[in-house]
Amino acid sequence: MKRVIYIFLIIFLVLLFLKACIRKDIPEQKPANTQNINQRTEFTYPKRAKTITLNGIDYLQSQAPVGNFGGEVILSIFGEGPKTFNPFTSKDATSSQMAGMMFDGLFTTDAKTGEVIPKLAKSYEIKGNNYYVYLRKGIKWSDGKAITADDVIFTWQDIIFAGLGNTSLRDSCMIEGKLPVITKVDDYTVKFTLSRPFAPFLRQLSAEIAPKHAFENAVKKGAKYFDGFYSTTTPPDKFVTSGAFKLKEYIPAQRIVFVKNPDYYEVNTKNEKLPYLNKVVYLIVGDANNEILKFEAKEIDLISLKGSNVAIYKQKEPSSDYKIYNLGPDTGTMFIVLNLNNRKNPDGKYYVQPEKQFWFKDKNFRYAIDYAIDRDNMVQNIANGLAEPLFTAESLNSIFLNENIKGHKRDIDVSREYLTQSGFFYNKNGKLFDKYGNNVEFDLYTNAGNIERESLGVMVKQDLEDLGMKVNFKPIEFNTLVNKMVNTLDWDMILMGLTGSPLEPHNGKNVWNSYGSLHLFNQRLEKTSFDDRLDFEKELDEIFDKASLETNFEARKALYNKYQQIVYDEKPIIYLYSPTRIVAVRKKIKNIYPSMLNGVMYNIEEIYVDK
Amino acid sequence: MQEILIYILKRILQTVPLLILVSIMSFFIIRLSPVDPLAELKLNPSISKETLQKEAQRMGLNKPVWKQYLLWAKSFIKGDLGVTTTGESVASKLKERIPNTLLLTLVVIFMTWSVAIPLGMLAAVKWKTPFDRFLTFLTSIGMAVPSFFFAILLLIFAVKTGWFPVGGLTSYNFNEMGLWNKVWDITQHLILPVTVLFTISLAGLQRQMRANILDVLDSDYIKFARAKGLSEKKVLFKHALRNAVNPMITLLGFEFSSLLSGAALTEYVFQYPGLGRLILEAVLKSDINLVMASLMMGAFMLIAGNLLSDILLILTDPRIRVRG
Repeated sequence: MKRVIYIFLIIFLVLLFLKACIRKDIPEQKPANTQNINQRTEFTYPKRAKTITLNGIDYLQSQAPVGNFGGEVILSIFGEGPKTFNPFTSKDATSSQMAGMMFDGLFTTDAKTGEVIPKLAKSYEIKGNNYYVYLRKGIKWSDGKAITADDVIFTWQDIIFAGLGNTSLRDSCMIEGKLPVITKVDDYTVKFTLSRPFAPFLRQLSAEIAPKHAFENAVKKGAKYFDGFYSTTTPPDKFVTSGAFKLKEYIPAQRIVFVKNPDYYEVNTKNEKLPYLNKVVYLIVGDANNEILKFEAKEIDLISLKGSNVAIYKQKEPSSDYKIYNLGPDTGTMFIVLNLNNRKNPDGKYYVQPEKQFWFKDKNFRYAIDYAIDRDNMVQNIANGLAEPLFTAESLNSIFLNENIKGHKRDIDVSREYLTQSGFFYNKNGKLFDKYGNNVEFDLYTNAGNIERESLGVMVKQDLEDLGMKVNFKPIEFNTLVNKMVNTLDWDMILMGLTGSPLEPHNGKNVWNSYGSLHLFNQRLEKTSFDDRLDFEKELDEIFDKASLETNFEARKALYNKYQQIVYDEKPIIYLYSPTRIVAVRKKIKNIYPSMLNGVMYNIEEIYVDK
Repeated sequence: MQEILIYILKRILQTVPLLILVSIMSFFIIRLSPVDPLAELKLNPSISKETLQKEAQRMGLNKPVWKQYLLWAKSFIKGDLGVTTTGESVASKLKERIPNTLLLTLVVIFMTWSVAIPLGMLAAVKWKTPFDRFLTFLTSIGMAVPSFFFAILLLIFAVKTGWFPVGGLTSYNFNEMGLWNKVWDITQHLILPVTVLFTISLAGLQRQMRANILDVLDSDYIKFARAKGLSEKKVLFKHALRNAVNPMITLLGFEFSSLLSGAALTEYVFQYPGLGRLILEAVLKSDINLVMASLMMGAFMLIAGNLLSDILLILTDPRIRVRG
């Protein structure tokens, strides 16, 4: 008898659990209307900040609406947190972002137009190859010492040009082996003299400036000491900074807390000292799922939304305390790249099998692939409609985007036409053969674990199989993939994404220069004994050299337009799409003017919390 | 007593070759895996070749693997754990995290042992009664639910109710709180991860204890003790418990070794700032010094835990002393 009771009890408990699975109880969910999410949010940006002089101090005056003081904003960053707070040694995005909160650069980027505008500097003047930078008078470091030309010269001469920390900035300033010469004109004027015009230089001057009195000793102690200087273990009150916020505490794997710098050099239109916020907190979250949970629990105020989450959040928006902004296409690009390498490895074997070399170097073959790819389908099914098809080498938000490249729809007949022109033919089973009778079969790699790329790979495979090609899609471990791309070069086709720079195409030089370190489609490990560059590679090299010399924006744009046209015409890299960036921000946070060029929180000193 | 000391000394000497072997094996396995700590930098278009070379040199990646090992071993013996791939001191990184992990695991171990042992005994005494069956049912659930799944369920629970913070160890305004609020804040953050770990390990331990006691209760000397007319209480605590506790002491040794590494999965789900998250990232990025330090720490804790339980066994059980 007892046993029967137990059995009933257990069955009852199980049923209780199963009750949760009954569909009827869940309210019917209407398919979310993604139509209005796709539309880019329009912003009216406030007028550009200007310089005003009060009591002999050159303040920067924000033109954004006046807000109220106090309050805090809680944000999040991914991963394990910053590795350093030193802007000159940081090599990862999180560290740079944190260092950027604490140190201002001479210049910054206009959110709307992408122009270089003054920040720590008051103004600039370009006379031939001389760049004059005029500093603000009377502004101070967080320890009360004045910010002068000596700090600027020290930063550039003794840190950046001396090759301390991350040398990438120095290497990209190097013009034909020569670095700019820096001279002090007076306490508030610095002159940079270049050996020839170099267009990206003005933007490079946006790099953070270090306080000489605080950094001098560390610099003297050499590179090794400098690598550990201003690190995550430095006590917060030891930092001498120039930014709107000062470091208050760093708790590893948990959070970074910044507090207001009361002596910041920016004021609002009522001449009250900014920033408005008392505190900015960055919570360190391990992954996207945790971030979503934290946003749901109202522990953070801002979140970047991805994929299917967007529709859910959009649906809940009207009854919620957040607002959704669509910033338009991201700086990220998704593409497939073909290996055009026709050289032999040190063991005397070809990196790419000769018959495959014949296909890949054939422009018709590359066109056939391009026309066979269904980008609209990818945008709809993988990016949930939150992306835009991409045909250009520059990302869609770039100020140098070639808008004449319109792209095309998928057209399998055009693809077949191109293939026939090059002598490819089909057998009875619809398999594709080249004119020497080789079955067209190659490998497509991407990094395993990235769901977006893995599903894109499957789509590319299916699209190309419609052409009769046999594509072996192999997601492999990220490190192995990178090793293949930059060292062993034994691959046929790779599906990848890179983060571009919407402001400076010259940053992509490592990709487009024939001898660049990331010249994906025809990587040369060392200088070849003779010039084996393809014609369009030569042309691209020339354009990049010329464009870096050209300081006139329109003339530069014309050159970069040409480079994008060449990449589009030659198709060594076939672009797929750019994802759209969508963020949700709590409504109580005001003065939010997101921009694809600068992000959401770039004007942190103007942001305030509504009471 | 002297015998015990000699025994301990012998055991410690035995561990030296073991540790060397463990270190060689782990070092070479990590280095032979295709993980490249520079992979992400290599794919960054704005990082120059010169920077990459400088980085490879700094991390010693341009030397042969055996040379890298010898360099590591030399500084390890000197007590220097080296720096991570990003140039931070490994020792200070570990020092940041060890207290957090210890806090979590100690609370869990204390709770499970103080609940599981009495529950196990109770279940054994009430063998085959409804109470025993009910406990069996509950512990089966505890053993069957995967820890990460349970952790995620609890996280969703925390979000929906708002009763608990979503992961972490302290609130963002922790440093401005008074002492009692601080204690309360940490307690609040600990409840969910402790619940997960507690449920999972309670089940096994309780079953183990129940089986041990049942085993002993069946033996002749218990029957004799009962025949002698001893009270049931005395039989249980004086005779049965002391004999049944041996396997538990061995288990305690293992628990000791899991003090620093046992909660990695739960830590990850709850974003708990312990060692688990740190080491997971280190392994993914092939941060050799950090991984080696944690592996050596794990090996050391395991050996120490075993030694500890052996010594405890000698102390509790005279039979082992005679044989040893």
